[in-house]
Amino acid sequence: MRNLLGLFLVLAILVIIPTVDHAFAAGDEPGEYLDRRVLIWNLFFRMMTVAFTVGAVVSGTMIWLCWRFRESHPKATPTEYERSGDFGGSA
Amino acid sequence: MVLELQKPRPVWQIMFSTHHTDVGLLYLIMSIAFLFMGGALALLIRAELFFPGAQMIADSMTFNRIFTVHGTTLIFLFLLPSASAVGNYFVPIMVRYKDMAYPKLNAIAFWMIPPGGALIWLGFADFTWYATPPYSIISAPGPAADMWIFGLKILGISSVLGAINFIVTILKCKHPDMSIGQVPLLAWSFLSSSLIVLVAIPTFAAALLMLLTDRLGVTGFFNPAMGGDPIAYAHLFWFTFHPEVYVLVIPAIGMMYEIIPRFSRKPIFSKSSGIFAFVLLAIVSFSSWAHHMYATGMSFTEKTVFMIGTLAAVPASGMHVFNFVATMWNGRIKFLTPMMWSIGGIALFFSAGAGGVANAAMPLDFTTHDTYWVVGHFHLFVMGTIAFGTIGFIYYMFPYVTGRMYNENMGKIHFILSFIGTILVFFTQHVLGLYGMPRRIFDYPAIPEWVAMNQIATVGAMIIGVSMIIFLINLIHSSAKGKPADIHDPFGLGGKYYYPFESKNPHH
Amino acid sequence: MGGHSNWPEWIYVGVIIALMFWVGAEAWNVERLVEHVPADAEVIKVTGAQWFWTFEHEDGTKEVGTLHVEAGKAYKFEIYSTDVNHSFNIHDYVVLMDAVPGRVNTVWFAPDKAGEHDIQCREYCGLIHYNMRGKLVVEEPST
Repeated sequence: MRNLLGLFLVLAILVIIPTVDHAFAAGDEPGEYLDRRVLIWNLFFRMMTVAFTVGAVVSGTMIWLCWRFRESHPKATPTEYERSGDFGGSA
Repeated sequence: MVLELQKPRPVWQIMFSTHHTDVGLLYLIMSIAFLFMGGALALLIRAELFFPGAQMIADSMTFNRIFTVHGTTLIFLFLLPSASAVGNYFVPIMVRYKDMAYPKLNAIAFWMIPPGGALIWLGFADFTWYATPPYSIISAPGPAADMWIFGLKILGISSVLGAINFIVTILKCKHPDMSIGQVPLLAWSFLSSSLIVLVAIPTFAAALLMLLTDRLGVTGFFNPAMGGDPIAYAHLFWFTFHPEVYVLVIPAIGMMYEIIPRFSRKPIFSKSSGIFAFVLLAIVSFSSWAHHMYATGMSFTEKTVFMIGTLAAVPASGMHVFNFVATMWNGRIKFLTPMMWSIGGIALFFSAGAGGVANAAMPLDFTTHDTYWVVGHFHLFVMGTIAFGTIGFIYYMFPYVTGRMYNENMGKIHFILSFIGTILVFFTQHVLGLYGMPRRIFDYPAIPEWVAMNQIATVGAMIIGVSMIIFLINLIHSSAKGKPADIHDPFGLGGKYYYPFESKNPHH
Repeated sequence: MGGHSNWPEWIYVGVIIALMFWVGAEAWNVERLVEHVPADAEVIKVTGAQWFWTFEHEDGTKEVGTLHVEAGKAYKFEIYSTDVNHSFNIHDYVVLMDAVPGRVNTVWFAPDKAGEHDIQCREYCGLIHYNMRGKLVVEEPST
C-alpha cells in the first residue's frame, strides 16, 4: 500500500511539473501569442454549456413539480400533514 | 393578527404609533410608494434607450442623475424598507412577544427614512449609486452630491437601528418556551440579515464621512491629487455592499420559506438546513466583496482569493433551492398569487446565481464587467428574486393586514406580465452586455444588435410597468372594496398556523 | 422535519461543490494564461482623460482617439488616468482594464488580422462617458 502511494506520488510529480512548466511557458516564443479572445470566449461557452444544462435540469424539475403536485392533478391526494393539520412547521 | 385597516382610525394615530404592526404598515406603504417612484425612473431610462440619440431626456447629465436616483431609491427606499415592513409585522408574532424589543427605536428607525429619501430625491445626484471617487470628489456637482451623502448616512443609521431591534427581539424577547431552533425560518432570515447589517454598514458609514471631508477639500483619502487612493473607497464600499446583497436576498428567501410550505400543504423539508444555509450565507457574504473590482488592477492572487470566496456562497444558496424543491415534492400545491411569485422568484434566483458564477470566474470579467451583462445579472437578483419574493409576500399578508382579499385574477395577471417582462428585459440585457454595450450610457452608436436588444428590453420594461399599475389598482381597490377575508384561513388551505392570528398584539 | 433522510441533499451539495471546483480551476487556468505577458510585447501608454483617450507608442509618437497597431505583434498597454476613473476597453479583442488615477494598470493583446475596432470607456466617468469612444486600427505588418 505504502509503495503504491509512493509510486503514485512519483508519477504525479513526473506528470504535473512538466505540465505546469509547459503551461507557464506558453506564449513566450516571439511571434506566437496566445489569443485572449479564443481563451476567454471558449471558457465562457464551456461554462454556459454547463450552466444551461444545470438550468434545464433545475427548471425542468420545477416545471414537473408544478405540473404533478398541483391541486387539480388527477392523482393529487391530501398530504399526510393535512390530516393532522400541522404544516406550519414548528419543527 | 392585525386588521389595521378594518377598524377606522385617524391617520395620525397610525403615524405616531410605536406598535410594531403600525410601524410595519408605514414601512410597507412608504416602500411601495418608492417602488413606483423608482420604477418610473427605470421606465424613463428604458424609453430613452429605445432609439440611439436623445429623445425623452434632454442631456446626459439628467440621464446620469436619473439612473443614480433609480438605483439608490430601489435599493435603500424600496427593498430595505419592504423587508423591514415584513419583519415588523411577523417577527414579534413569530417569537411570541408583544412588540419589537425597542418600540420607540423602531419608530425612530422608520422616521429616519423619509428625510433620507427626501435628501436623495431633492438632490438628484449624478455619481451613480456607487458614488465613485475621484469623480464624486472632484467632478460631481453639489449640493446634490452632498445631499446624497447625508441621505445615505441617515438611511445607514436607520438600518443599523432596525437591525439591532430585530436581533434583540429574536434573541432576547422570544418566548421562554421557545428554543432558538423553534424560531421560524422567516425570523431566522431577519436574524442573519440583521447580523450582516451590523457588521457591514459601519464600514460604509466611515467611507461616506471620508467622502464628505474629501469633497470639502479637507482631506484626501480617495483623492489621488492629495495622495489618496480611489481603490480604497472601492474596498470600503463593496465590503458593505456585497454583504448588503445578502441582506436583501436573505429576507426574501425567508418569505418564500413562509409561503411555499403553506401552499404545498407540507412542513418545510429541512428547517435545520435552512437555518444552516442562512448562517453560512451571512458568513461567506463577507468573503467576496472584491469580485466587483477585478478590473481595477488587482493581482492574480487577490483575484483568485475573491473568486474562491464568491464561489463559496453557491452551495448555501443551492441548499435553499433544494429545500424549496423538496418541500413542494409530494405536496398538494395551490397556485394562488403568493405561491406563483415565490416559484417564479426561485426560477429567476437560479438564473441570477448562474450569471453570478460566470461573473466570479476571473477571465470572464474582461467580457462582462461594466457592461449590460452586469446590469441584467444584478437586476435578476433584485427584481427577479428579491422583489418577486417581497411582492408575493405583500399579496400573502394582504388579507391579514386589511382583513380583505385582493383580487386573485389581477394578482395572477400581475405575476404573469411581470415574469414575462423580467425575462425580456434582463435576459436580453445579458446578451446586450456580451455585445459590449457599457452600462450607464445615455446614448449609444447605432449598431444593429444593440438597437434591437435595447428595443426588446424597453418593451419588456413597459410590460412590467403595466403589470405594476395593475398591482397598484389591485392594492388600492381591494383594501377598500375587496371581499372580506376569512382571517383564520384566507387562502383556503386548511391546517393550522403557528402564529396566533386571533390574539393580535394589543396596542399599548 | 419528520423522519426523512438527508442523503439526497448531501449528494446535491456535493455536486454543487464539485461544479464550483471545476469553475474555479478552469477560470484560474485561463486567467493565468491571459495574464502572462509575452517578453517582446511593445509598450503603449494609454491615458484616459475626461473624455478622450491618448496613446503614446514606444518610439514617442502620440495619437489621440485613434490607435494604430500592426497585426502579428504583441502590445502591452500601460493605462493611466489624469482625472477620474475610466476603463479602457476594446471589446472585439476582449481587452479591458480600468484607468485609475495614481495607478498604472497593464493589459496586453496581440491583434492577428488587419481591421478597425471600437475603443470605448466602460467605467462611468461623467457627462460624456457615453461618447468617450476611440478607434483601433490594426494594420498589415510593415515588414
